[in-house]
Amino acid sequence: MKPGRRLQDTVPAWLEAHRDAARRSLQRRLQAPVLSLISIAVLGFILALPAYLWVLLDNARALSAHVDHDPRIALYLDGVEAATVADLERHLETDARVERWIWIDADEALARYREGLADPGLLDWLDENPLPDVVDVIPATADPETVAALREALAATVPGATVVSDDDWVRQLNSLHQLGLRILSVVGALLGLGALLILALATASELRERREEIAISRISGATHRFLRRPSLYGGVMTGLGGGIFAGILLLIGIGLSRAPLEQAAAAFDLEFGLSLPGATHLLALLLAGLLLGWLGARLGSGHALRDAP
Amino acid sequence: MIRLQRVTKRFGSASEALSNVSLRVDPGAMAFITGPSGAGKSTLLRLIAGLERPTRGRIRVNGHDLDRLSNRAIPGFRRSIGLVFQDHRLLFDRPVFDNVALPLEILAYRRPEMRKRVRAALDKVGLLHKEGVNPRTLSAGEQQRVGIARAIVHRPVLLLADEPTGNLDPALSREILQLFDDFNRVGMTALIASHDLGLVERMGKPVLHLEDGRIEARAAAGAPA
Repeated sequence: MKPGRRLQDTVPAWLEAHRDAARRSLQRRLQAPVLSLISIAVLGFILALPAYLWVLLDNARALSAHVDHDPRIALYLDGVEAATVADLERHLETDARVERWIWIDADEALARYREGLADPGLLDWLDENPLPDVVDVIPATADPETVAALREALAATVPGATVVSDDDWVRQLNSLHQLGLRILSVVGALLGLGALLILALATASELRERREEIAISRISGATHRFLRRPSLYGGVMTGLGGGIFAGILLLIGIGLSRAPLEQAAAAFDLEFGLSLPGATHLLALLLAGLLLGWLGARLGSGHALRDAP
Repeated sequence: MIRLQRVTKRFGSASEALSNVSLRVDPGAMAFITGPSGAGKSTLLRLIAGLERPTRGRIRVNGHDLDRLSNRAIPGFRRSIGLVFQDHRLLFDRPVFDNVALPLEILAYRRPEMRKRVRAALDKVGLLHKEGVNPRTLSAGEQQRVGIARAIVHRPVLLLADEPTGNLDPALSREILQLFDDFNRVGMTALIASHDLGLVERMGKPVLHLEDGRIEARAAAGAPA
């Protein structure tokens, strides 16, 4: 305990010291607004890019729900007995994994096929209808594992039927999405690392400007913790500013790319709406900025103070 | 308060800045170090303040063995010392008050107590009315007095001053040394380096003379250990 100090003063004094450090750091930023804004802008751009890519990827995944190509399971009931077909119908009615199902009668299918032909008379050569009855099952979900499980369950119900599912494209879309996420995390990590170094450099150069103050403070018994405190607050301020700026950029970016994306999707007969990121995602962006700002300041101040006299 | 035993300081491969220096300053004493520029006065003060480490020898200040003090313990040790420089080393990005308050900020004093102490220190050096101005606008003598207020605001047990009168005219110099004498009267140990022999001798205090990094025996020498 220092002379003239009371225990009940310790915590308020500590809080005051932090407030002073934050205030001084803010003043320093306001004195050089252009430099401060550049730091914030750099961080904002760096955060906005992966965030934008993430929103696109997330929407692309949601696309699978809108595509007119739900995974289907087709059961070709070639020579399947009527009792088994009744079992199948019961199963289809009760299984929650089934969205709906369509019975395509063999005769009906042939008639439809006939309509599509240029010369319907061709089919008259056939002695009997070569087409089987088909049950087209539309699963309730596009999740590849659920679809695969449903397919097995149906195959077990109708042992004689040929069961074909076209959920390959779901798997492809899924793996593309996974690949996208992987690329995004690599790009995000590299950009984050770059941002960290830029912020560390900015902190180090700020500490160089403060070197006389630091030298005097050192002589007066200042610890590293005391000396880097304003820098850490500065880092947090830049980080928060960068996070907010990134959020604004993201919203603008999505706003600008919405119409062209929807037009492009319409050209492919896809119903696609680019949805805005929610509050949670914007908050995550803010936290990412804050964390990067703090870490960068910590890195830069640690280095600069170690080298300082 | 201060005890040096056969202390040598060498910078790189250059010749010794201090050779085999031994001295003792008792608690509550006031002493001067004199000698021409380059004699090692500043180096001696920097060693005592823990700003440099000795190449050889032992330094004990205010109960701390400086040659064994860990890096973590150095800030705590420095808080018990006040340092005055020839060039004041004031910060021109803040007013006089904030300059003087710096050591108290480091010690995490609360605002009201800080204000009280800073104003008391400024009052002591006769600059209370200048607390709000930028030190750049002050005269050399006033700047030096702000530097002194900063050095004593946290009531250190030891005051070290390196050529505090270096840039001042004789009348101002006497005023400054009188201030140190006042602080010494209230119990602060003081060690002051100055090349102004005439001025120092008029103070009637022990004088250590440094020449080429060695203590020279003099009539008015302090208390060599």
